[in-house]
Amino acid sequence: MKSEQAKRPFLYVSFFYLLIFAVWQMLFSAGLIPDYLFPSPVQVGKRLWELGSDDYLLPSVKATLVRMAMGFSIAAAIGLGIGLLMGTSPIMNSCLKSLFLGLQTLPTAAWVPISLLLFGLSEQGIYFVIIMSSTPAVAIATSAGILHIPPLYLRAARTLGTRWYAMPVRVILPAALPAIMTGLKLGWTFGWHGAVSAELIKSTVGLGFLLNMGREMNDASQVIGIMLVTILFGLLLDRFLFGVIERRIRIRWGLEKKE
Amino acid sequence: MNASVSKSTGRSAAPRAVKLRLANVSKTFQNGTQTVEALAPLELEVKEGEYVVFFGPSGCGKSTLLNLIAGFEAPSAGEITLEGRPITRPGRDRLMMFQEHALFPWLSVIKNVMYGLKNEPQFRFRPRKQREAARSWLKMVHLEEFESALIHELSGGMKQRVALARALAPDPKVLLIDEPFPALDALVRGKLYGDLQDILTRTGKTIISVTHDSREAACLGDRVVVFTPRPGRIKKEIHVDLARPRDINDPKVAEYAGRIMAELEGQPDEKRAG
Repeated sequence: MKSEQAKRPFLYVSFFYLLIFAVWQMLFSAGLIPDYLFPSPVQVGKRLWELGSDDYLLPSVKATLVRMAMGFSIAAAIGLGIGLLMGTSPIMNSCLKSLFLGLQTLPTAAWVPISLLLFGLSEQGIYFVIIMSSTPAVAIATSAGILHIPPLYLRAARTLGTRWYAMPVRVILPAALPAIMTGLKLGWTFGWHGAVSAELIKSTVGLGFLLNMGREMNDASQVIGIMLVTILFGLLLDRFLFGVIERRIRIRWGLEKKE
Repeated sequence: MNASVSKSTGRSAAPRAVKLRLANVSKTFQNGTQTVEALAPLELEVKEGEYVVFFGPSGCGKSTLLNLIAGFEAPSAGEITLEGRPITRPGRDRLMMFQEHALFPWLSVIKNVMYGLKNEPQFRFRPRKQREAARSWLKMVHLEEFESALIHELSGGMKQRVALARALAPDPKVLLIDEPFPALDALVRGKLYGDLQDILTRTGKTIISVTHDSREAACLGDRVVVFTPRPGRIKKEIHVDLARPRDINDPKVAEYAGRIMAELEGQPDEKRAG
Protein backbone atom coordinates (compact mmCIF):
# COMPACT_ATOMS: atom_id res chain seq x y z
CA MET A 1 0.00 0.00 0.00
CA LYS A 2 2.85 2.38 0.77
CA SER A 3 4.63 1.88 -2.54
CA GLU A 4 5.27 4.72 -4.98
CA GLN A 5 2.64 3.43 -7.39
CA ALA A 6 -0.01 3.30 -4.71
CA LYS A 7 0.71 6.89 -3.65
CA ARG A 8 0.61 8.36 -7.11
CA PRO A 9 -3.15 8.13 -7.86
CA PHE A 10 -3.70 10.10 -4.68
CA LEU A 11 -1.45 12.87 -6.03
CA TYR A 12 -3.22 12.94 -9.38
CA VAL A 13 -6.61 13.03 -7.72
CA SER A 14 -5.63 15.85 -5.34
CA PHE A 15 -4.28 17.81 -8.28
CA PHE A 16 -7.52 17.19 -10.21
CA TYR A 17 -9.63 18.67 -7.42
CA LEU A 18 -7.30 21.63 -6.96
CA LEU A 19 -7.70 22.26 -10.68
CA ILE A 20 -11.50 22.22 -10.40
CA PHE A 21 -11.44 24.75 -7.58
CA ALA A 22 -8.96 26.90 -9.50
CA VAL A 23 -11.15 26.94 -12.62
CA TRP A 24 -14.17 27.70 -10.46
CA GLN A 25 -12.36 30.65 -8.82
CA MET A 26 -11.19 31.91 -12.24
CA LEU A 27 -14.74 31.78 -13.67
CA PHE A 28 -15.92 33.73 -10.63
CA SER A 29 -13.14 36.31 -10.97
CA ALA A 30 -14.01 36.82 -14.64
CA GLY A 31 -17.32 38.20 -13.34
CA LEU A 32 -19.53 36.75 -16.08
CA ILE A 33 -22.34 35.84 -13.69
CA PRO A 34 -23.47 37.97 -10.72
CA ASP A 35 -21.93 36.71 -7.47
CA TYR A 36 -25.26 36.17 -5.67
CA LEU A 37 -25.99 33.46 -8.27
CA PHE A 38 -22.47 32.15 -8.68
CA PRO A 39 -20.43 32.39 -5.49
CA SER A 40 -16.71 31.72 -5.26
CA PRO A 41 -15.23 28.71 -3.46
CA VAL A 42 -14.12 31.10 -0.72
CA GLN A 43 -17.68 32.40 -0.22
CA VAL A 44 -19.02 28.85 -0.11
CA GLY A 45 -16.38 27.87 2.43
CA LYS A 46 -17.16 30.92 4.52
CA ARG A 47 -20.88 30.16 4.51
CA LEU A 48 -20.25 26.55 5.53
CA TRP A 49 -18.05 27.81 8.35
CA GLU A 50 -20.86 30.12 9.52
CA LEU A 51 -23.40 27.29 9.36
CA GLY A 52 -20.98 25.20 11.38
CA SER A 53 -20.37 27.79 14.07
CA ASP A 54 -24.09 28.69 14.27
CA ASP A 55 -24.73 25.02 15.09
CA TYR A 56 -26.73 24.32 11.94
CA LEU A 57 -24.41 22.03 10.02
CA LEU A 58 -23.46 19.24 12.43
CA PRO A 59 -26.96 18.58 13.80
CA SER A 60 -28.23 18.37 10.21
CA VAL A 61 -25.52 15.99 9.04
CA LYS A 62 -26.20 13.90 12.12
CA ALA A 63 -29.98 13.97 11.58
CA THR A 64 -29.70 12.78 7.96
CA LEU A 65 -27.21 10.05 8.89
CA VAL A 66 -29.37 8.82 11.79
CA ARG A 67 -32.46 8.71 9.56
CA MET A 68 -30.46 6.81 6.97
CA ALA A 69 -29.03 4.37 9.50
CA MET A 70 -32.49 3.51 10.81
CA GLY A 71 -34.41 3.66 7.54
CA PHE A 72 -31.78 1.73 5.64
CA SER A 73 -31.54 -0.99 8.31
CA ILE A 74 -35.27 -1.58 8.01
CA ALA A 75 -35.06 -1.48 4.20
CA ALA A 76 -32.15 -3.93 4.18
CA ALA A 77 -34.02 -6.38 6.41
CA ILE A 78 -37.17 -6.21 4.26
CA GLY A 79 -35.16 -6.37 1.03
CA LEU A 80 -33.17 -9.39 2.22
CA GLY A 81 -36.33 -11.21 3.27
CA ILE A 82 -38.15 -10.53 0.01
CA GLY A 83 -34.99 -11.30 -2.02
CA LEU A 84 -34.63 -14.63 -0.21
CA LEU A 85 -38.24 -15.50 -1.01
CA MET A 86 -37.78 -14.49 -4.64
CA GLY A 87 -34.50 -16.37 -4.92
CA THR A 88 -35.88 -19.61 -3.54
CA SER A 89 -39.39 -19.66 -5.01
CA PRO A 90 -39.77 -19.41 -8.80
CA ILE A 91 -43.44 -18.36 -8.38
CA MET A 92 -42.55 -15.49 -6.05
CA ASN A 93 -39.74 -14.50 -8.38
CA SER A 94 -41.89 -14.27 -11.50
CA CYS A 95 -44.59 -12.33 -9.62
CA LEU A 96 -42.35 -9.88 -7.77
CA LYS A 97 -39.51 -9.35 -10.20
CA SER A 98 -41.27 -6.96 -12.57
CA LEU A 99 -42.90 -5.15 -9.64
CA PHE A 100 -39.59 -4.47 -7.93
CA LEU A 101 -37.80 -3.61 -11.17
CA GLY A 102 -40.59 -1.11 -11.81
CA LEU A 103 -40.30 0.36 -8.33
CA GLN A 104 -36.55 0.63 -8.79
CA THR A 105 -36.97 2.71 -11.96
CA LEU A 106 -39.22 5.16 -10.12
CA PRO A 107 -37.20 8.30 -9.24
CA THR A 108 -36.80 8.39 -5.46
CA ALA A 109 -38.23 11.94 -5.28
CA ALA A 110 -41.48 10.54 -6.70
CA TRP A 111 -42.10 8.93 -3.30
CA VAL A 112 -42.23 12.32 -1.57
CA PRO A 113 -45.75 13.47 -2.61
CA ILE A 114 -47.36 10.18 -1.58
CA SER A 115 -45.48 10.22 1.72
CA LEU A 116 -46.80 13.76 2.35
CA LEU A 117 -50.32 12.52 1.75
CA LEU A 118 -49.88 9.48 3.97
CA PHE A 119 -47.79 10.87 6.81
CA GLY A 120 -48.05 14.64 6.53
CA LEU A 121 -45.02 16.60 7.68
CA SER A 122 -43.88 13.92 10.09
CA GLU A 123 -40.60 12.10 10.62
CA GLN A 124 -42.18 8.77 9.56
CA GLY A 125 -42.66 10.20 6.07
CA ILE A 126 -38.89 10.51 5.63
CA TYR A 127 -38.38 6.92 6.78
CA PHE A 128 -41.11 5.85 4.34
CA VAL A 129 -39.28 7.50 1.43
CA ILE A 130 -35.92 5.96 2.44
CA ILE A 131 -37.41 2.50 2.80
CA MET A 132 -39.35 2.63 -0.47
CA SER A 133 -36.28 3.95 -2.29
CA SER A 134 -33.75 1.37 -1.15
CA THR A 135 -35.76 -1.84 -0.59
CA PRO A 136 -36.22 -2.74 -4.31
CA ALA A 137 -32.48 -2.58 -5.07
CA VAL A 138 -31.65 -4.85 -2.12
CA ALA A 139 -34.41 -7.32 -2.98
CA ILE A 140 -33.46 -7.54 -6.66
CA ALA A 141 -29.74 -7.96 -5.97
CA THR A 142 -30.41 -10.60 -3.31
CA SER A 143 -32.69 -12.67 -5.53
CA ALA A 144 -30.33 -12.39 -8.51
CA GLY A 145 -27.40 -13.40 -6.32
CA ILE A 146 -29.28 -16.44 -5.02
CA LEU A 147 -30.40 -17.50 -8.49
CA HIS A 148 -26.78 -17.46 -9.65
CA ILE A 149 -25.47 -19.74 -6.90
CA PRO A 150 -23.76 -22.75 -8.52
CA PRO A 151 -26.15 -25.71 -7.98
CA LEU A 152 -23.11 -27.74 -6.96
CA TYR A 153 -22.92 -25.87 -3.62
CA LEU A 154 -26.51 -26.78 -2.81
CA ARG A 155 -25.92 -30.39 -3.81
CA ALA A 156 -22.78 -30.63 -1.73
CA ALA A 157 -24.55 -29.08 1.27
CA ARG A 158 -27.45 -31.48 0.89
CA THR A 159 -25.23 -34.57 0.86
CA LEU A 160 -23.36 -33.21 3.88
CA GLY A 161 -26.63 -33.31 5.79
CA THR A 162 -27.86 -29.71 5.66
CA ARG A 163 -31.65 -29.61 6.04
CA TRP A 164 -33.80 -27.26 3.98
CA TYR A 165 -34.49 -24.94 6.93
CA ALA A 166 -30.76 -24.50 7.58
CA MET A 167 -29.94 -23.83 3.92
CA PRO A 168 -30.52 -20.04 3.92
CA VAL A 169 -28.13 -19.37 6.79
CA ARG A 170 -25.51 -22.00 6.05
CA VAL A 171 -25.32 -21.89 2.25
CA ILE A 172 -27.72 -19.63 0.34
CA LEU A 173 -26.97 -16.27 1.98
CA PRO A 174 -23.20 -16.83 2.30
CA ALA A 175 -22.95 -17.99 -1.33
CA ALA A 176 -24.92 -14.95 -2.52
CA LEU A 177 -23.20 -12.50 -0.16
CA PRO A 178 -20.99 -10.75 -2.76
CA ALA A 179 -24.09 -9.95 -4.86
CA ILE A 180 -26.09 -9.00 -1.76
CA MET A 181 -23.35 -6.59 -0.70
CA THR A 182 -23.45 -4.89 -4.11
CA GLY A 183 -27.23 -4.59 -3.70
CA LEU A 184 -26.88 -3.10 -0.22
CA LYS A 185 -24.46 -0.52 -1.57
CA LEU A 186 -26.85 0.42 -4.36
CA GLY A 187 -29.78 0.44 -1.92
CA TRP A 188 -27.89 2.79 0.37
CA THR A 189 -27.29 5.19 -2.53
CA PHE A 190 -30.99 5.19 -3.50
CA GLY A 191 -31.97 5.65 0.14
CA TRP A 192 -29.59 8.60 0.45
CA HIS A 193 -31.22 10.23 -2.60
CA GLY A 194 -34.64 9.61 -1.05
CA ALA A 195 -33.66 10.97 2.35
CA VAL A 196 -32.39 14.28 0.99
CA SER A 197 -35.41 14.62 -1.34
CA ALA A 198 -37.83 14.08 1.53
CA GLU A 199 -35.99 16.48 3.82
CA LEU A 200 -36.30 19.23 1.21
CA ILE A 201 -39.99 19.47 1.95
CA LYS A 202 -40.84 18.06 5.30
CA SER A 203 -38.06 18.64 7.77
CA THR A 204 -36.70 21.20 10.21
CA VAL A 205 -33.27 19.63 10.37
CA GLY A 206 -31.15 17.65 7.87
CA LEU A 207 -29.08 18.21 4.75
CA GLY A 208 -32.20 18.52 2.58
CA PHE A 209 -33.59 21.09 4.99
CA LEU A 210 -30.43 23.19 4.79
CA LEU A 211 -30.56 23.03 0.97
CA ASN A 212 -34.13 24.30 0.94
CA MET A 213 -33.37 26.93 3.58
CA GLY A 214 -30.56 28.21 1.32
CA ARG A 215 -32.97 28.47 -1.58
CA GLU A 216 -35.54 30.36 0.52
CA MET A 217 -32.91 32.84 1.63
CA ASN A 218 -31.62 33.19 -1.97
CA ASP A 219 -28.24 32.09 -0.65
CA ALA A 220 -26.42 30.28 -3.46
CA SER A 221 -23.34 29.86 -1.25
CA GLN A 222 -25.33 27.80 1.22
CA VAL A 223 -27.01 25.71 -1.51
CA ILE A 224 -23.72 24.87 -3.20
CA GLY A 225 -21.98 24.34 0.13
CA ILE A 226 -24.58 21.85 1.37
CA MET A 227 -24.51 20.08 -2.00
CA LEU A 228 -20.76 19.63 -1.55
CA VAL A 229 -21.26 18.31 2.00
CA THR A 230 -23.92 15.89 0.74
CA ILE A 231 -21.60 14.65 -1.99
CA LEU A 232 -18.75 14.32 0.49
CA PHE A 233 -20.71 12.16 2.93
CA GLY A 234 -22.23 10.08 0.14
CA LEU A 235 -18.78 9.43 -1.26
CA LEU A 236 -17.19 8.70 2.12
CA LEU A 237 -19.81 6.11 3.02
CA ASP A 238 -19.82 4.54 -0.42
CA ARG A 239 -16.04 4.22 -0.64
CA PHE A 240 -14.93 3.74 2.91
CA LEU A 241 -17.79 1.83 4.46
CA PHE A 242 -19.62 -0.13 1.77
CA GLY A 243 -16.70 -0.20 -0.66
CA VAL A 244 -14.29 -1.64 1.89
CA ILE A 245 -16.72 -4.29 3.13
CA GLU A 246 -17.62 -5.26 -0.42
CA ARG A 247 -13.98 -5.61 -1.42
CA ARG A 248 -13.17 -7.69 1.64
CA ILE A 249 -15.98 -10.07 0.83
CA ARG A 250 -14.99 -10.33 -2.83
CA ILE A 251 -11.38 -11.08 -1.88
CA ARG A 252 -12.41 -13.74 0.62
CA TRP A 253 -14.72 -15.38 -1.94
CA GLY A 254 -11.85 -15.35 -4.45
CA LEU A 255 -13.66 -13.03 -6.87
CA GLU A 256 -11.04 -10.32 -6.62
CA LYS A 257 -7.33 -10.38 -6.01
CA LYS A 258 -5.47 -8.57 -3.27
CA GLU A 259 -3.12 -5.91 -4.59
CA MET B 1 -18.88 -44.81 14.01
CA ASN B 2 -16.01 -42.51 14.89
CA ALA B 3 -14.01 -40.33 12.60
CA SER B 4 -10.69 -41.13 14.18
CA VAL B 5 -7.89 -41.56 11.71
CA SER B 6 -6.30 -44.49 13.42
CA LYS B 7 -9.28 -46.71 12.73
CA SER B 8 -8.11 -49.60 10.62
CA THR B 9 -9.99 -52.48 9.14
CA GLY B 10 -7.79 -55.09 7.53
CA ARG B 11 -8.47 -55.04 3.82
CA SER B 12 -7.80 -58.73 3.46
CA ALA B 13 -10.14 -59.73 6.31
CA ALA B 14 -12.00 -62.78 5.08
CA PRO B 15 -15.60 -62.92 3.88
CA ARG B 16 -16.83 -59.39 3.91
CA ALA B 17 -20.45 -58.40 4.27
CA VAL B 18 -22.36 -56.94 1.36
CA LYS B 19 -22.54 -53.18 1.91
CA LEU B 20 -24.45 -52.00 -1.09
CA ARG B 21 -26.80 -54.04 -3.26
CA LEU B 22 -28.31 -52.97 -6.58
CA ALA B 23 -31.17 -55.27 -7.53
CA ASN B 24 -32.56 -55.07 -11.06
CA VAL B 25 -31.84 -51.33 -11.16
CA SER B 26 -32.59 -49.44 -14.37
CA LYS B 27 -33.01 -45.81 -15.37
CA THR B 28 -34.89 -44.25 -18.27
CA PHE B 29 -35.18 -40.56 -19.08
CA GLN B 30 -38.11 -38.87 -20.76
CA ASN B 31 -36.81 -36.64 -23.53
CA GLY B 32 -39.89 -34.96 -24.96
CA THR B 33 -41.98 -37.80 -26.34
CA GLN B 34 -38.93 -40.04 -26.56
CA THR B 35 -37.93 -42.46 -23.83
CA VAL B 36 -34.19 -42.87 -23.52
CA GLU B 37 -32.85 -45.88 -21.69
CA ALA B 38 -29.78 -44.72 -19.78
CA LEU B 39 -29.21 -47.87 -17.78
CA ALA B 40 -30.40 -51.36 -18.68
CA PRO B 41 -31.49 -53.45 -15.67
CA LEU B 42 -28.40 -54.45 -13.73
CA GLU B 43 -27.35 -56.41 -10.67
CA LEU B 44 -24.37 -55.46 -8.55
CA GLU B 45 -23.06 -56.02 -5.05
CA VAL B 46 -20.40 -53.97 -3.33
CA LYS B 47 -18.72 -55.48 -0.27
CA GLU B 48 -17.61 -53.81 2.92
CA GLY B 49 -14.26 -52.11 2.44
CA GLU B 50 -14.18 -52.77 -1.27
CA TYR B 51 -13.01 -50.23 -3.85
CA VAL B 52 -15.17 -50.57 -6.95
CA VAL B 53 -14.51 -48.53 -10.11
CA PHE B 54 -17.19 -47.93 -12.71
CA PHE B 55 -15.34 -47.71 -15.99
CA GLY B 56 -16.68 -46.84 -19.41
CA PRO B 57 -16.88 -44.21 -22.13
CA SER B 58 -19.02 -41.12 -21.64
CA GLY B 59 -22.72 -41.82 -22.09
CA CYS B 60 -22.50 -45.30 -20.59
CA GLY B 61 -24.59 -44.32 -17.59
CA LYS B 62 -21.83 -44.74 -15.01
CA SER B 63 -22.33 -41.24 -13.59
CA THR B 64 -26.10 -41.76 -13.63
CA LEU B 65 -25.60 -44.89 -11.57
CA LEU B 66 -23.47 -42.96 -9.09
CA ASN B 67 -26.24 -40.33 -8.80
CA LEU B 68 -28.76 -43.09 -8.10
CA ILE B 69 -26.58 -44.47 -5.32
CA ALA B 70 -26.10 -40.94 -3.93
CA GLY B 71 -29.88 -40.54 -3.95
CA PHE B 72 -29.95 -37.44 -6.19
CA GLU B 73 -32.18 -39.37 -8.58
CA ALA B 74 -34.46 -42.35 -8.11
CA PRO B 75 -34.13 -45.50 -10.26
CA SER B 76 -36.94 -46.11 -12.77
CA ALA B 77 -37.14 -49.70 -11.59
CA GLY B 78 -35.38 -51.92 -9.08
CA GLU B 79 -33.99 -51.13 -5.68
CA ILE B 80 -30.73 -49.95 -4.18
CA THR B 81 -30.08 -50.92 -0.58
CA LEU B 82 -27.31 -49.83 1.77
CA GLU B 83 -26.83 -52.31 4.61
CA GLY B 84 -30.26 -53.67 3.77
CA ARG B 85 -32.04 -50.31 3.90
CA PRO B 86 -33.41 -48.84 0.66
CA ILE B 87 -31.96 -45.54 -0.55
CA THR B 88 -34.53 -42.82 -1.11
CA ARG B 89 -32.65 -39.52 -0.86
CA PRO B 90 -29.17 -38.00 -0.42
CA GLY B 91 -27.58 -38.59 2.94
CA ARG B 92 -24.40 -38.39 4.90
CA ASP B 93 -23.99 -42.17 4.81
CA ARG B 94 -23.11 -41.85 1.08
CA LEU B 95 -20.94 -38.79 0.60
CA MET B 96 -19.99 -37.70 -2.88
CA MET B 97 -16.81 -36.07 -4.09
CA PHE B 98 -17.70 -34.05 -7.17
CA GLN B 99 -15.86 -33.43 -10.43
CA GLU B 100 -15.38 -29.87 -9.35
CA HIS B 101 -14.29 -29.50 -5.76
CA ALA B 102 -17.56 -27.87 -4.54
CA LEU B 103 -15.79 -26.40 -1.51
CA PHE B 104 -17.44 -23.35 0.05
CA PRO B 105 -15.35 -20.23 -0.62
CA TRP B 106 -16.79 -18.35 2.36
CA LEU B 107 -15.30 -20.89 4.77
CA SER B 108 -11.66 -21.55 5.55
CA VAL B 109 -10.15 -24.95 4.78
CA ILE B 110 -10.79 -26.37 8.24
CA LYS B 111 -14.33 -24.97 8.41
CA ASN B 112 -15.07 -26.71 5.13
CA VAL B 113 -13.93 -30.01 6.62
CA MET B 114 -15.96 -29.29 9.78
CA TYR B 115 -19.07 -28.50 7.73
CA GLY B 116 -20.48 -32.03 7.57
CA LEU B 117 -19.59 -32.72 11.21
CA LYS B 118 -21.99 -30.06 12.44
CA ASN B 119 -24.86 -32.39 11.52
CA GLU B 120 -23.38 -35.48 13.20
CA PRO B 121 -25.08 -36.29 16.51
CA GLN B 122 -21.84 -36.86 18.43
CA PHE B 123 -20.32 -33.61 17.11
CA ARG B 124 -23.32 -31.31 17.16
CA PHE B 125 -22.69 -28.09 19.12
CA ARG B 126 -19.19 -29.28 20.04
CA PRO B 127 -16.91 -27.06 17.97
CA ARG B 128 -13.72 -28.16 19.77
CA LYS B 129 -14.38 -31.79 18.93
CA GLN B 130 -15.30 -30.86 15.36
CA ARG B 131 -12.06 -28.95 14.96
CA GLU B 132 -9.95 -31.77 16.36
CA ALA B 133 -11.54 -34.32 14.03
CA ALA B 134 -11.23 -32.00 11.03
CA ARG B 135 -7.57 -31.42 11.88
CA SER B 136 -6.82 -35.13 11.90
CA TRP B 137 -8.47 -35.53 8.49
CA LEU B 138 -6.48 -32.62 7.10
CA LYS B 139 -3.36 -34.30 8.42
CA MET B 140 -4.28 -37.44 6.53
CA VAL B 141 -4.38 -35.52 3.25
CA HIS B 142 -1.17 -33.67 4.22
CA LEU B 143 -2.77 -30.23 4.45
CA GLU B 144 -2.57 -29.63 8.20
CA GLU B 145 -0.54 -26.47 7.62
CA PHE B 146 -3.27 -24.96 5.47
CA GLU B 147 -6.19 -25.18 7.87
CA SER B 148 -6.82 -21.44 8.00
CA ALA B 149 -6.19 -20.84 4.28
CA LEU B 150 -9.00 -19.73 2.01
CA ILE B 151 -10.17 -22.00 -0.77
CA HIS B 152 -9.07 -19.83 -3.67
CA GLU B 153 -5.56 -19.72 -2.24
CA LEU B 154 -5.11 -23.48 -2.83
CA SER B 155 -3.97 -25.27 -5.98
CA GLY B 156 -6.31 -27.62 -7.86
CA GLY B 157 -4.81 -30.73 -6.28
CA MET B 158 -4.98 -29.26 -2.78
CA LYS B 159 -8.63 -28.34 -3.29
CA GLN B 160 -9.45 -31.93 -4.23
CA ARG B 161 -7.62 -33.16 -1.14
CA VAL B 162 -9.65 -30.81 1.05
CA ALA B 163 -12.79 -32.08 -0.70
CA LEU B 164 -11.66 -35.63 0.09
CA ALA B 165 -11.12 -34.75 3.75
CA ARG B 166 -14.52 -33.05 3.91
CA ALA B 167 -16.25 -36.09 2.41
CA LEU B 168 -14.47 -38.49 4.77
CA ALA B 169 -14.90 -36.48 7.98
CA PRO B 170 -18.56 -37.43 8.71
CA ASP B 171 -17.46 -41.09 8.32
CA PRO B 172 -19.79 -42.08 5.46
CA LYS B 173 -20.59 -45.76 4.94
CA VAL B 174 -19.78 -45.36 1.26
CA LEU B 175 -17.63 -42.72 -0.41
CA LEU B 176 -18.67 -41.86 -3.97
CA ILE B 177 -16.13 -40.22 -6.26
CA ASP B 178 -17.31 -38.71 -9.53
CA GLU B 179 -14.20 -38.30 -11.69
CA PRO B 180 -12.63 -35.68 -9.49
CA PHE B 181 -9.16 -35.93 -11.00
CA PRO B 182 -9.19 -35.30 -14.76
CA ALA B 183 -8.76 -31.56 -14.33
CA LEU B 184 -5.40 -32.07 -12.64
CA ASP B 185 -1.95 -32.60 -14.13
CA ALA B 186 -0.38 -36.08 -14.15
CA LEU B 187 2.05 -35.40 -11.30
CA VAL B 188 -0.65 -34.17 -8.93
CA ARG B 189 -2.93 -37.06 -9.90
CA GLY B 190 -0.22 -39.60 -9.14
CA LYS B 191 0.13 -38.11 -5.67
CA LEU B 192 -3.62 -38.15 -5.13
CA TYR B 193 -3.88 -41.82 -6.14
CA GLY B 194 -1.25 -42.50 -3.49
CA ASP B 195 -3.13 -40.52 -0.83
CA LEU B 196 -6.41 -42.16 -1.69
CA GLN B 197 -4.98 -45.68 -1.40
CA ASP B 198 -3.28 -44.73 1.84
CA ILE B 199 -6.62 -43.57 3.26
CA LEU B 200 -8.29 -46.68 1.93
CA THR B 201 -5.86 -49.00 3.74
CA ARG B 202 -6.05 -46.97 6.93
CA THR B 203 -9.81 -46.55 7.20
CA GLY B 204 -11.15 -49.58 5.34
CA LYS B 205 -13.67 -47.31 3.67
CA THR B 206 -16.02 -48.64 1.00
CA ILE B 207 -15.47 -46.52 -2.11
CA ILE B 208 -17.09 -46.34 -5.53
CA SER B 209 -15.51 -44.12 -8.15
CA VAL B 210 -16.29 -43.38 -11.76
CA THR B 211 -13.70 -42.88 -14.48
CA HIS B 212 -13.02 -43.17 -18.20
CA ASP B 213 -9.29 -43.58 -17.57
CA SER B 214 -8.31 -47.26 -17.65
CA ARG B 215 -5.04 -46.64 -15.79
CA GLU B 216 -6.84 -44.88 -12.99
CA ALA B 217 -9.31 -47.77 -12.82
CA ALA B 218 -6.54 -50.37 -12.62
CA CYS B 219 -4.56 -48.34 -10.08
CA LEU B 220 -7.43 -47.72 -7.68
CA GLY B 221 -9.97 -50.52 -8.01
CA ASP B 222 -10.20 -53.84 -6.21
CA ARG B 223 -12.78 -54.53 -8.85
CA VAL B 224 -13.40 -52.70 -12.12
CA VAL B 225 -16.90 -52.83 -13.58
CA VAL B 226 -16.76 -52.20 -17.32
CA PHE B 227 -19.82 -50.50 -18.83
CA THR B 228 -20.84 -50.30 -22.48
CA PRO B 229 -22.94 -47.39 -23.70
CA ARG B 230 -26.50 -46.87 -24.96
CA PRO B 231 -28.05 -48.25 -22.89
CA GLY B 232 -25.54 -48.57 -20.06
CA ARG B 233 -24.87 -52.23 -19.41
CA ILE B 234 -22.32 -54.12 -17.33
CA LYS B 235 -20.06 -55.91 -19.76
CA LYS B 236 -17.55 -57.46 -17.45
CA GLU B 237 -16.15 -57.25 -13.95
CA ILE B 238 -12.40 -57.48 -13.56
CA HIS B 239 -10.71 -58.14 -10.21
CA VAL B 240 -7.40 -56.39 -9.88
CA ASP B 241 -5.20 -58.65 -7.77
CA LEU B 242 -2.33 -56.34 -7.07
CA ALA B 243 -0.92 -55.35 -3.69
CA ARG B 244 -1.39 -51.80 -2.46
CA PRO B 245 -0.14 -49.17 -2.65
CA ARG B 246 -0.08 -49.38 -6.42
CA ASP B 247 1.86 -46.94 -8.55
CA ILE B 248 0.10 -45.56 -11.60
CA ASN B 249 3.32 -46.13 -13.59
CA ASP B 250 3.76 -49.75 -12.48
CA PRO B 251 3.87 -52.03 -15.58
CA LYS B 252 1.48 -54.46 -13.85
CA VAL B 253 -1.06 -51.67 -13.47
CA ALA B 254 -0.55 -50.87 -17.15
CA GLU B 255 -1.14 -54.52 -17.99
CA TYR B 256 -4.47 -54.51 -16.14
CA ALA B 257 -5.37 -51.21 -17.79
CA GLY B 258 -4.79 -52.88 -21.14
CA ARG B 259 -7.11 -55.74 -20.19
CA ILE B 260 -9.79 -53.32 -19.03
CA MET B 261 -9.52 -51.35 -22.24
CA ALA B 262 -9.65 -54.52 -24.30
CA GLU B 263 -12.84 -55.59 -22.53
CA LEU B 264 -14.45 -52.33 -23.48
CA GLU B 265 -13.39 -52.61 -27.09
CA GLY B 266 -14.75 -56.14 -27.29
CA GLN B 267 -11.50 -58.07 -27.67
CA PRO B 268 -11.47 -59.91 -24.36
CA ASP B 269 -8.68 -62.34 -25.22
CA GLU B 270 -6.16 -60.05 -26.76
CA LYS B 271 -3.43 -58.76 -24.45
CA ARG B 272 -4.71 -60.93 -21.62
CA ALA B 273 -2.04 -61.24 -19.00
CA GLY B 274 -1.38 -64.38 -16.99
